[in-house]
Amino acid sequence: MVDLDTPPAPRPDAETAPYWEATAEGRMVLGRCRECRRWLHPPREACPTCAGPVGFEAVSGRGTVFSFITVHQPTVPGYLRELPYSAALVEIDEQPGVRLPARLAGGAGAHVQIGDRVTLELAELAGSDYRVPVARPVADDIGADSA
Amino acid sequence: MGLEDVAIVGIGRTSFTRNSGRTTGAMAAEAVRDALGDAGLVAGDVDGMVSFQAGDSTPSAAVAAAVGVDDLAWSADLFGGGNVVVTTIGEAARALATGACSVAVAYRSMNGRSGSRFGTATEGGFAVGGEAQFGGPVGYLVPPHWMAMWAARHQHTYGSTCEDLGAIAITQRSHAAANDHAIAQQPITLDDYLAGRWVVEPLRIFDCAYEVDGAVALVLTSTDRAADLAQPPVRIRTAVDSTSAGGSWDQWPDPTQMFSARLAGRLWEGSGLGPGDIDVACIYDCFTYTVMAVLEDLGFAEKGGVGELFRSGGATYGGDTVVNPHGGLLSEGYLHGMNHHFEAVLQLRGGSGARQVEDARNALVTAGAGPYGGAIIYTTEAG
Repeated sequence: MVDLDTPPAPRPDAETAPYWEATAEGRMVLGRCRECRRWLHPPREACPTCAGPVGFEAVSGRGTVFSFITVHQPTVPGYLRELPYSAALVEIDEQPGVRLPARLAGGAGAHVQIGDRVTLELAELAGSDYRVPVARPVADDIGADSA
Repeated sequence: MGLEDVAIVGIGRTSFTRNSGRTTGAMAAEAVRDALGDAGLVAGDVDGMVSFQAGDSTPSAAVAAAVGVDDLAWSADLFGGGNVVVTTIGEAARALATGACSVAVAYRSMNGRSGSRFGTATEGGFAVGGEAQFGGPVGYLVPPHWMAMWAARHQHTYGSTCEDLGAIAITQRSHAAANDHAIAQQPITLDDYLAGRWVVEPLRIFDCAYEVDGAVALVLTSTDRAADLAQPPVRIRTAVDSTSAGGSWDQWPDPTQMFSARLAGRLWEGSGLGPGDIDVACIYDCFTYTVMAVLEDLGFAEKGGVGELFRSGGATYGGDTVVNPHGGLLSEGYLHGMNHHFEAVLQLRGGSGARQVEDARNALVTAGAGPYGGAIIYTTEAG
């Protein structure tokens, strides 16, 4: 039976499970070295820089659109009825160079530009208990920071 | 014996089609026999074989048996896609240089169009592991998505345009018009390009390689042995690779560059050549943006200058370097870049007929895109 309506589910492994389990509880956490305090994504058992142990810590969800695309070609199950849609790579405020793929809120995103400020929120993922990040443009970042 | 003492002495291929109706093993066997015949060798001469695949082809032991090779002194099957073509050929050359074997065949066979493709239906729902577990669930899953994400970043940073990408597609298609083997030979205009449907913005249909079924094989041996064979030998001048950032398309530091920025120094210092010495460049073109980034990285154009390089004729006949004279993966067909090596060898032999590049002596072939790939320079001149 071909199921074209359910998006791909993540297949967590021993290194990524804490990330996904937190999303199921509505919390966004990322891997971070307990020794040198660098954030790392994807998470690893040990820090690539200092080999220190990695824990998971909450992130603010604030970030910047590093780049984005608008998908027209039917490719990914679960998204075939939503074409076109937009996805972004979001660079998180906590550390330059750490990027998360996310859906862009509000449909195909001609109104979004690279460099725009966004907030990552967790949204339901059909067919799964895990949640996935959705990037919502921030109208006034100064306001968001002081909130 | 070093890499400079290794030559490509035979090339072979099947036709490139949309639906072969054949196994990858059968197509590989045809291409290998064709390449051996071209070289003036027989199956009994072969003692090395190598291929690459991602679970979509027939391994070297089975192909060796299919063509009647009895004993492989050296064989290997690499895991990967177009990023490991130079690695594959380089491994064959290194096996020859170290004496592990004396005649090696490298091949790639795939039902890239009729077989399993990105975007074709799968049974039931599916789960994705590895780094794709983060992108897949948000609809960011396959190479055209990654490549569009990178191209958009280049457009933002350097002001490159869709028309620049179009200039690459238009030039390469004009080359394919002189190539009977190409799956797409009809020339296109800028209007045609811009009227092409969006696949993933900012990439349109003409920015994407044309998937095909088929196989290509190369025969390699020492330059000493090559002297007695049927074809003029085409020597390897240098072969280099680069894989970094863990192969991650999301965490790679700067998507306005590719693997080619990392290996450019090794390529030019290792060969003693520069972009001005390259007559033919078969640049891996899974997407037009790959050509743009790789040509910039290797010094064929300034950042943001590739569109103008193509529009001004610098990348076609009469220009500095003819880029993808066979039409590339965009037009000849997406044989994962193995067909680039076939074309480079044919050009250096002077055997490309209507699309022959005049006085072609040095040919550059790149493999791969994004965080991983390779580059090789073939030459007619003795090392």
